[in-house]
Amino acid sequence: MAGVRTEEEIKEILEKRFGTILSNWVIQRKRRIYVDVPRENLVEVVGFARRELGFDHLGTITGLDGGEYLEFLYHLSNQGLLLSLRTKAPVSDPRVQTILHLFPGAEPYERELEDMLGAKVEGLPPGRHYPLPDDWPQGQHPLKKNWKVSDAYPAEV
Amino acid sequence: MSKITIPLGPQHPALKEPGNFLLVLEGEQIVGATVRLGYNHRGIEKACEDRSYIQDLYLIERVCGICSHSHTTCFCMAAEDAAKVEVPKRAQAIRVLVGELERIHSHLLWLGVAGHEIGFDTLFMYAWKDREQVMDCLEMISGNRVHYSINTIGGVRRDITPEQAAEILKRVDLLEERTKYYIKLATEEPTLIARVEGVGLLPTEEAHKRGAVGPTARGSNVPRDVRKDDPHLIYEELDFQVITSGACDVFGRLYVRVFELLESFKIIRQVLKSLPEGPIVAKVPRKIPPGEGVGHYEAPRGEDIHYVRSNGSEKPERVKVRAPSLANFSSVAYMLEGGYLADAPIVIAAIDPCFSCTDRAILVKDQSGRDLTLDWEDLRRRGIEFYRHRGLDFSRIA
Amino acid sequence: MSSNPMLNKLVNWSRIKSPWILHFNSGACNACDIEVLDALTPRFDLERFGVLLKATPRHADVMVACGPVTRQVAFRMRRIYDQMAEPKFVVAVGTCACTGGVFNGCYSVLGGVDKILPVSAYIPGCPVRPEAVIDGVVKLLSSLKQ
Repeated sequence: MAGVRTEEEIKEILEKRFGTILSNWVIQRKRRIYVDVPRENLVEVVGFARRELGFDHLGTITGLDGGEYLEFLYHLSNQGLLLSLRTKAPVSDPRVQTILHLFPGAEPYERELEDMLGAKVEGLPPGRHYPLPDDWPQGQHPLKKNWKVSDAYPAEV
Repeated sequence: MSKITIPLGPQHPALKEPGNFLLVLEGEQIVGATVRLGYNHRGIEKACEDRSYIQDLYLIERVCGICSHSHTTCFCMAAEDAAKVEVPKRAQAIRVLVGELERIHSHLLWLGVAGHEIGFDTLFMYAWKDREQVMDCLEMISGNRVHYSINTIGGVRRDITPEQAAEILKRVDLLEERTKYYIKLATEEPTLIARVEGVGLLPTEEAHKRGAVGPTARGSNVPRDVRKDDPHLIYEELDFQVITSGACDVFGRLYVRVFELLESFKIIRQVLKSLPEGPIVAKVPRKIPPGEGVGHYEAPRGEDIHYVRSNGSEKPERVKVRAPSLANFSSVAYMLEGGYLADAPIVIAAIDPCFSCTDRAILVKDQSGRDLTLDWEDLRRRGIEFYRHRGLDFSRIA
Repeated sequence: MSSNPMLNKLVNWSRIKSPWILHFNSGACNACDIEVLDALTPRFDLERFGVLLKATPRHADVMVACGPVTRQVAFRMRRIYDQMAEPKFVVAVGTCACTGGVFNGCYSVLGGVDKILPVSAYIPGCPVRPEAVIDGVVKLLSSLKQ
């Protein structure tokens, strides 16, 4: 595993390799980097970060409802240095590629994107819901901003 | 020998992403294990968006009743990053103090539960009795035995008096004596060692690959500890070790937790010896301007990670919580396979899922499709009997 | 009070002096569960009242329920209650079991235990203190004896 580099060094190496594919760099403070990645390049960048830069741990994946688009943040860790890769997918086509082959532990995080936001993670093998129960009504995604309980359970209200 | 499929379903779903484990048996051996999660889902993240940051503190605290301080501290750190607020040193020190007290109570709790799972109930009683010392300290500082609510965004809500500090140090001395006894037990008592050695194997590479965290990872020689990797609060200034074990089994996880108790005592003494002067809270606006932050904290069970996005209002745009046990579940399936059914309770307990996870009902179907209902108690007793027939009997230990 | 039909049922019930409890967590954070278990440990020692923790519903007299009732668990909780033999009682332990607590309004939470089961005693607290658990159980027993 590569020795821990500084935030600036990591940015430099990634920019050298990926150029303007990466945008909106924010080095917030020590050990906190955020950068935007187009979804078609996501797997490549994650793979590179893992293999070449020592980001061998996936903290979690945060999904957000951004209105017209869904936003996904992949929080990668190199011994505590957190690189958060931000990618977006339009709500009309909420697809993103799986990173399960790079991080086997990603499964619950990817399933959560599907359950809670209605994302479609391509390459994720079929499986049961997480975290919602099996009998949760189809098409109901609680973390969408305009979702209310009455959408899924109208009789209760 | 016919294959039996046992779904270990939750009779008592609990907070810590508890398991529904599907076990495929061949005789007494587990040849296949899959994990099904999600029974504790309460919709906390959604609820956070509808409450102010301060109200969210009380909700986040109740993600788990065992490491509630870990969760609020992690949440505060994320929100404080978003708000670009510097937390005063004294507050950080108090957060560390409470955090380490929490680690002690959690590890002692685990020790007791682990003892119970293998039939060593004396250990359960001793560990939980000692744990009361820590509960008393926490109640003294905060007013509550559990859910201490010491954090606020920007710092802590209560200060430590010199009298309280002296009392805590006294109890830490007492606990250190008791811990030496536990260390002796863990390293010298043959019956205990026999129940945990070679059980629940998780090689270093697998732990690494599957993203294991906390004592589960450190017991497999993966030296991950957020206190050292991403030093937060005042951990950078403190002298302590990351405890690892090369055993890669339940013994390794036991070893790590017991020795971590000693490190926590060390940390508490350092913190109380040189508690920084100054305010205990920084002013944070009620409406946090648009921003984001990732909180990163070493909870007793491992890496806790929170993400907060602010949008300029008094309610967060998004709160994401990834509790440590979720990161360990991929490893549990691996650990169960190839092992004995008798070991299933201790293997699952060894990653330290929530206490309530241990109350589960199990449905057994055999090849003819007959339905038998076993509950966790029966599984636990089967394990104890299995080993008693092989000469491991805890009832003979004082 | 002797016109109370329930009390008549209890007249020959010897277990009133030593209730066997089934602990059930319906989606809680575990704080109450641990404080309940703590009540059984040496400092508080609920066992001196003859209270025993049982694992199966069939042997239990009192269900001690912790936590708010989540959707996933409601059906199972009802089923377990049905498996208990009469006379049986439910004690709601902790603020969440009483009213849903901080989780009230969460989409996955139905509310307190009395949303699905008849509750005989409410023990508030977040979490409950072990002393409160003992107090509550003893009060329940005394009220039945009368």
